[in-house]
Amino acid sequence: MLRIENLHVGYGEAAAISDVSITLGKGELVCIIGPNSAGKTTLVNAIARLLPVRAGKIIIDGQEATRLTPQQLCDLGVAIIPEGRRLFTSMSVEENLDIGCYHAKARANRMQSLARIYDMFPVLSERRRQIAGTLSGGQQQMVAIARALMAQPKLLLIDEPSLGLAPVIIKQVFETISAIHTQGVSILLIEQNATKALAISQRAYVLDCGAMIAEGTPAELRDRSEINAAYFGHGH
Amino acid sequence: MISATLLGQSLLSGIFSGCFYAMLGLGMTLSWRYLKVINLAHFAFVLIAAYLTYQLVGKSGLHPLVVAVLLIPLFFALGIAQQALIDYYKVNEFASVIVTFGMAIITEAALQWFWSADYLKLESHYLRGSTQIGTLFLPIGEAVMALIAVVMCAAVWAALRYTWLGKALRAGLDNPQIAASFGVPNRQLSYLVAGVSGATAAIGGIFVALLFTLAPSQIFAWLGVVFAAALLGGLGSPIGVLAAGLLLGVSEALTMAVIAPAWAPVVPFTLLMVILLIWPERV
Ligand SMILES: Nc1ncnc2c1ncn2[C@@H]1O[C@H](COP(=O)(O)OP(=O)(O)O)[C@@H](O)[C@H]1O
Ligand SMILES: [Mg+2]
Repeated sequence: MLRIENLHVGYGEAAAISDVSITLGKGELVCIIGPNSAGKTTLVNAIARLLPVRAGKIIIDGQEATRLTPQQLCDLGVAIIPEGRRLFTSMSVEENLDIGCYHAKARANRMQSLARIYDMFPVLSERRRQIAGTLSGGQQQMVAIARALMAQPKLLLIDEPSLGLAPVIIKQVFETISAIHTQGVSILLIEQNATKALAISQRAYVLDCGAMIAEGTPAELRDRSEINAAYFGHGH
Repeated sequence: MISATLLGQSLLSGIFSGCFYAMLGLGMTLSWRYLKVINLAHFAFVLIAAYLTYQLVGKSGLHPLVVAVLLIPLFFALGIAQQALIDYYKVNEFASVIVTFGMAIITEAALQWFWSADYLKLESHYLRGSTQIGTLFLPIGEAVMALIAVVMCAAVWAALRYTWLGKALRAGLDNPQIAASFGVPNRQLSYLVAGVSGATAAIGGIFVALLFTLAPSQIFAWLGVVFAAALLGGLGSPIGVLAAGLLLGVSEALTMAVIAPAWAPVVPFTLLMVILLIWPERV
């Protein structure tokens, strides 16, 4: 579904990620964990084509996507739940969802998608006319998830969905992601909250200082003591 | 003490002026907000359309509706062409004032060259005369213009609020990158706004030709008050520019009737300053 080969991305002179390679199979849920400033958002934004790539390749569904525009990437069935949610804050909840299905293919199924999403998030149904910027953090995250689902993506990029949320909401968000995965969507999940992310992932990569330093199944990574110590806060 | 009839007549003419300001301000407020272009050349477009109407209706004898059918698409295209230039040279919001002011100056010179600096009046029987309602005179031309201005503002408001294109445009304003990620074509939409703005200039120009005496310097006649209406109404708001236009038009007309005509131009800017001082977040 997604293959990243030796990707280099930077800001101005500085390199943010170097020589990063990952693969994600159809229907897989893969997470990328790593500390603050590791380059996780840089990686996901490069895949989403919001940042230029310096070198390397992004291949989606067998198609070269390295130089596509965000709009062209949308044609390939990729949707993003960006870090910090980045909602259309002056627009209502339902208008945010409408933009989620702006693409012609998704728009044709707008009614079914809306019904499904309001079923999944009843609170969004109650607040469909409310301006998105006035919702609580947790509700805003739900809108960000729902907006991406409206696009009926084949591949979903999720960047730090738990950021700034209360523990009960975080639990709910991870359950939702897991449920979306069960429905067959391929997911690349970026998280600092390694324990929570590994619990629902099939495979994981560890990114630190812009380089990929480990990969494996959640069990394998937990068994490696140096990674355990660094990213799970227990061990030694 | 002035009579009720005079007051009513002033109010009516203020309403007409207000609608006229809104007709000219609609394109301005849209491009300011959605394109980050403070488009002083909008008034140049209006006057070009007015002179073309003068020529086509007055000299060639075409019906104003035929002229509208010709000019609206033409000015839609001109609006896009102007925006393509502004895009190509990456003109920012501040520089756009200077660039479009330059375009207005050049247009003034060109109009003088083609049509001379003299005052011209389109002599035609279209939209002439008036009807009487009670003691008030209702000039047909102004009334039609006002009606169309209201319809234009309402239509743009509804389009922004309810259509896919309108939602996409607002989403692109909130967050262009993420909007693009969901398939919103920001660039094409900006050309649509520029085209619509150009088309409104054509309609404005037709009414300028039908209702006013033409001179190239008229490009700058309404700039100040329309600028004020766009700001007061809240940038990008079609209903706002209509409401603000009416506020300015009516207050000008009442000042003229109650105090003295010379004071009328003072009103819009005093209002603008006062409102911006007590309500700065308006802009
Ligand atoms: N817009 C930017 N301009 C310059 N440097 C940036 C920008 N965004 C991130 N960086 C730098 O790139 C590195 C990786 O950041 P980021 O990808 O946001 O990490 P993470 O998401 O893992 O916290 C950091 O050193 C950060 O300071
Ligand atoms: Mg990040």
